[in-house]
Amino acid sequence: MVTAPGLRRAVIGAAVGFAVGGGLVTTVLQGDLGQIFGLGYILALLGFLLGIGAFRFWLTWAAGREIDAAEEHAAHGRAGDWRRYFRFTTDHKVIGVQYLVTAFVLFFTAGTAAMFMRFELAQPGIATSKDIYNTVMSTHGAMMITVALVSIIGGLGNYLVPLMVGARDMAFPKANALSYWMLPLAILLVAINPLLGGFDTGWTAYPPLSQQANLGQQAYLMAFVTVGISSILSAINFLVTVFRMRAPGMSLMRMPIFVWALTVTATLALVATSVVAMAFTMLLFDRLLGTSFFRASRGGDVILFQHLFWFYSHPAVYIMALPGLGAILEIVPVFARKPLFAYPLAVLMFVSIGVMSFMVWAHHMFVSGMAEFFHIPIMLTTELISVPTGIVFLSALGTIWMGRIQFTVPMLWVFGFLWAFLIGGITGVFLADVPTDITLSDTYFVVAHFHYTIVGGTIFGLFAGTYYWFPKITGRMYDERLGRLHFWWFTLAFNATFIPMFWLGIEGMRRRVADYPAGFGTVNLFISFAALNIALSVAVFAFNMVRSWRRGPQAAPNPWRAQTLEWQTASPPPIANFDQIPTVTDTPYQYGHPGAAPGSLGAAPARRLRP
Amino acid sequence: MTPRRHLLTAGAVWLVLSVVGVLLVAGIQIIPVIASREAEIENGAFVLLTAASVPILMLVVVGLAYTAIRFRATDDIGDGPPIHGHVGVQAAWVGISLLLVIGLFAYGAIGLVDIRGAQSADFEVNVSAEQWEWKFEYPATGVKSKELHIPVDRRVHLNIESIDVIHSFWVPALGVKQDAVPGRPTHIYTTATDIGTYPGMCAELCGLGHTGMTMTVVVSDQAALDAWLTQQPKGLPGSPGPHGSPGPTP
Repeated sequence: MVTAPGLRRAVIGAAVGFAVGGGLVTTVLQGDLGQIFGLGYILALLGFLLGIGAFRFWLTWAAGREIDAAEEHAAHGRAGDWRRYFRFTTDHKVIGVQYLVTAFVLFFTAGTAAMFMRFELAQPGIATSKDIYNTVMSTHGAMMITVALVSIIGGLGNYLVPLMVGARDMAFPKANALSYWMLPLAILLVAINPLLGGFDTGWTAYPPLSQQANLGQQAYLMAFVTVGISSILSAINFLVTVFRMRAPGMSLMRMPIFVWALTVTATLALVATSVVAMAFTMLLFDRLLGTSFFRASRGGDVILFQHLFWFYSHPAVYIMALPGLGAILEIVPVFARKPLFAYPLAVLMFVSIGVMSFMVWAHHMFVSGMAEFFHIPIMLTTELISVPTGIVFLSALGTIWMGRIQFTVPMLWVFGFLWAFLIGGITGVFLADVPTDITLSDTYFVVAHFHYTIVGGTIFGLFAGTYYWFPKITGRMYDERLGRLHFWWFTLAFNATFIPMFWLGIEGMRRRVADYPAGFGTVNLFISFAALNIALSVAVFAFNMVRSWRRGPQAAPNPWRAQTLEWQTASPPPIANFDQIPTVTDTPYQYGHPGAAPGSLGAAPARRLRP
Repeated sequence: MTPRRHLLTAGAVWLVLSVVGVLLVAGIQIIPVIASREAEIENGAFVLLTAASVPILMLVVVGLAYTAIRFRATDDIGDGPPIHGHVGVQAAWVGISLLLVIGLFAYGAIGLVDIRGAQSADFEVNVSAEQWEWKFEYPATGVKSKELHIPVDRRVHLNIESIDVIHSFWVPALGVKQDAVPGRPTHIYTTATDIGTYPGMCAELCGLGHTGMTMTVVVSDQAALDAWLTQQPKGLPGSPGPHGSPGPTP
């Protein structure tokens, strides 16, 4: 049906938008291919959003007409109707699932790209082509960065934050849905970049290389800016929800630690994203409008791009990691059956990481030729940020110590996280130290380090959180044995893949190469074999999730005896989340206190939300 | 067991493992080939950081392992003790990690100053990078080459420029890595300590031919170097380079 807003209309809208934009540039402006594609994409995105119905309520309001209450209610989605996941639906729980499933699909796609890379790298010599390798490598990076940026905050965050603070939805449900629906076209654009000639700069897109590269490069830049805008929109929504919509009694220092982590994450996304969006836009201007921000031959400065890029992209590392840290600290007390150790210090940790993350960006540039005096202060700040980051270990170890540990699947992932993130953190110090960084920069040591931090921080947190909240989101239990198999297989294969890369980096294997000296052949073959095992273990996860969602055993509302608010309602929660909004009397970590399950909740009559 | 006994047992295991670990890594060579003063300093920093990370690694590993073995619940009914924090432990954790980090920073800063050394050199080379090859020019003699030849035990100054995109000049054995940036010449010093032939390469992704953008670095004594320089024709036949001679840097 084309008359109702939906995916079909969105696709038509995108096609019309692209035709109008591209046509205008071709006929009126006589532009080149990049410019045709540029305006075409912008109008296609607009057409897609119009078609999906993203603007219809605002347009109705702007036209001075009455908004149909029934239609607005319908846009919120009906429980049990699977089609709501493919529509412009304003329920935060639907949007959370949309983000989560999109992120996992993207994770599988980018993982397949990694398998291709490991195929090429399994033996010395070129099996495919260097050009294809560079494009696949860059696409893997671009997609995995997106997964790490949106999976936990967009998926679990959207689903859980309103539930955890005791609200009925996010502050701006329509803007929330809009931020999700900006993604599909952008992701598609990254996915099809090989058809547009690919791009070979890696996700960092350093000029002048990115100014030479072809249309695939432009597609990546435009997609990344789109993701950035979506991210800013979403960040505002999170902040307003957290600061204005908490249940009565939930002071800031009674918030679940996961919500605190996401609050800091959203602040970082709000402040930093505009910087990278600007840097990428300047790069697009250089390519499309003839400016020279980064053209050395015309007085531009290529180092400026690196400063702007990392001024966002280092905080972005924390945008990726903090939600994972938050999820881990949320899960630890539940399965240690003890209060979260040093909760106020953990809150302080998130806030200080947030502040300090803006002062460390230039450690990516120790060999770049930036101002020489700048190395020493950046080395100091970079090493100092490990003090607040180390507090996640204090909190976790303090909580499990003397606890009553239940090794459920989420708790296994917590232990896996602590190991992987520790290795990531320790090896980070080697890269923060300029003398060692000179030899390690741009080698496989860096590849191993950031996979230990981002997989360790984000993906282990994502898996922990997905298993932990699976019963809440689906109302069913996952298969415990498959979950354990996934954990052990993934963790062993992950370590077998990335530990040898530290050695390769020290021995002098550069990152981002399609070929290497023959002496590294055996180790690389081993790594490729181990990497294949990561993929197989993830297939077990996918199978478990799909099957358990369809016919897993029914889950109780609170199978873990947890104390946060989301577990005090049905599984899955009703459309309005709570039958009555609860009143909060303490932090949700009152384990071990007599009669305190769930001790943090006062039995209060129904109340309105705070204004 | 009392809480104190748990703490003492785990602490003893941690201490033993840490001491063994530190002894194992102390004094080893981590950077595979060391042929310069700079690489020697970097290896020293590497060993120190590795030794310093052993107790940290062991703290978390022993904590996790001990917990997994000794604090496993046998049923899923009861709760653990309601401990929300411990001011002494928290203060000690933050204080010790702060001291450790400042110590490592000081050591790193001293190493960095040491690597940079004085702004003077015995031998100048101009390095030029373009997709996808390296070119070297010896301004004192006007010789150009595609291999880098430098004298042993002399402080060498490398002026690095790029013709097109960003490259990175890396010779692992010499412990030098410096990006070649278009429109913004960079430079670096090194003092080779061992005669030999070493591989060098581009470390910054520079497009299709990045993988193959390698070079050979020959470190020889001054006499052999002089002999080699006099044998070379002035300028590479057929490839003068887009910028011609970059000229000596003041």
